[in-house]
Amino acid sequence: MSDTHVSEAPRIRLSDISTALSTQSRVIWALILRETKTRYGEHKLGFLWAVLEPLIMVAVFVGIFASIRSDSPGGMPLVLFMLVGIVPFHLFRDTMGQMQGAIAQNKSLFAFPQVTTFDVIIARGILEILLLSGVFIMLLVGMDIAGYSVNIERPLGVLAACGLLSLIGMGMGFAFASISPLVPSMRQISGAVLGRPLFLGSGIFFIADSVPGPVREYLLLNPLMHILELLRSAFFYEFESAHGDWGYATTWSLCVFAFGLLIHQAMRRKAIVGI
Amino acid sequence: MIRLVNVSKRYRTSSGFHTVLNNVDVTFPVGKSVGILGLNGAGKSTLIRIIGDAEPPDTGHVERTGRVSWPLGYTGGFQGNLTARENARFVARIYGESTKYIEEFTQEFSELGEYFDEPLRAYSAGMRSRFAFSVSLACNFDYYLVDEALETGDARYKEKFRLAFEERRATASVILVSHNEQTIRRNCDMAAILHDGELTLYDELKDALQFYSYLQTRAA
Repeated sequence: MSDTHVSEAPRIRLSDISTALSTQSRVIWALILRETKTRYGEHKLGFLWAVLEPLIMVAVFVGIFASIRSDSPGGMPLVLFMLVGIVPFHLFRDTMGQMQGAIAQNKSLFAFPQVTTFDVIIARGILEILLLSGVFIMLLVGMDIAGYSVNIERPLGVLAACGLLSLIGMGMGFAFASISPLVPSMRQISGAVLGRPLFLGSGIFFIADSVPGPVREYLLLNPLMHILELLRSAFFYEFESAHGDWGYATTWSLCVFAFGLLIHQAMRRKAIVGI
Repeated sequence: MIRLVNVSKRYRTSSGFHTVLNNVDVTFPVGKSVGILGLNGAGKSTLIRIIGDAEPPDTGHVERTGRVSWPLGYTGGFQGNLTARENARFVARIYGESTKYIEEFTQEFSELGEYFDEPLRAYSAGMRSRFAFSVSLACNFDYYLVDEALETGDARYKEKFRLAFEERRATASVILVSHNEQTIRRNCDMAAILHDGELTLYDELKDALQFYSYLQTRAA
């Protein structure tokens, strides 16, 4: 954009900013409702699947884990251990995944001037985070009813850790959403290069103390590993991690989020033309 | 009022750059409906998208007072997997209008019957544009930006739209791009011609039409 555009544009007043903000929140809300309709309107089983999918994963990995070793990791009950790893990890992975296609799959909406690329991306992220939070709570309540006593040691810590996972997911989501209209193979990259290794290497199935020292140091470079350690420490009375570092995890999360917004800012014009 | 100030836009093509708008400086007068004529590929759709803020110009800017519609056409702004009702509610929400009113007005005016609750992908092009125009009429814009699509639907329905727009003309204006001079003649007070990156506004409709038919014969 040339400088002339900026200097010629009318001055920005405070009232303009408040109008813009109220328009934007209206648009994001409308987009969230719309996304809910497109995702679950036609397939009534959609929400059921959102609950079942993590539940099935928990069952499968509990089965595998129980057949390999008899003790439970860090003294935590095995089923809850898996649940409190798999579902929060979805907050990272699915938020990123859902946001990724936001620009490409909503291109017709950019005919409306008030709908921006930021709005369509963040709307998907918010919906996914709300949905997964609902799923998480439902599963925990369900577990409690089913007889696994669910007592959360520090609920605020759990909330904070889930917040950090969402933040990283959104940061990556913004970056991938802005790049993928220009680089079509981005979906494979985010899935295979990022999603799978992180699924295995973020401590969903193990705790840091259960891996040998040199490997552990390497794994602890991964902020998601820190967050899951912190999350389980906050969740379980039985477990306190010596490795999870809030400072490290928070710094990483904020940086990834800022990085995503920067990439989006740099690419958004090209991304619209690209589709 | 809508005013284009030094607006330029070009596209990268395989053989270099294609300039669609070259320093265009035009004011669309209040209360006049303007038709913009241009040969195929002159950049009419780009122009209407820039006027409607659906696309930024490379340089310059557009001043708008009053509520401007999105560029109305066959598909613009609507996704096939949602029903007309859901799309109407979405439009109401993003423009801050009452969802109930917009929904009811659109349902009645579009005459889509039970199709109103079917996904838009099941619609014909005519039905889609009927829907798009009905929603936009419900929203009470000061400017209606139209990309070609007035020409769809049967004769009776076309007449219904023409009358509805006629009625709105007291308070609203239409800016319409088309390559068809009949469309312009029926709907507009004055016309402009987009040719070679220049946009020229004519006070008299007949002058514009005359020059346009000259361009057409030269192109053919």
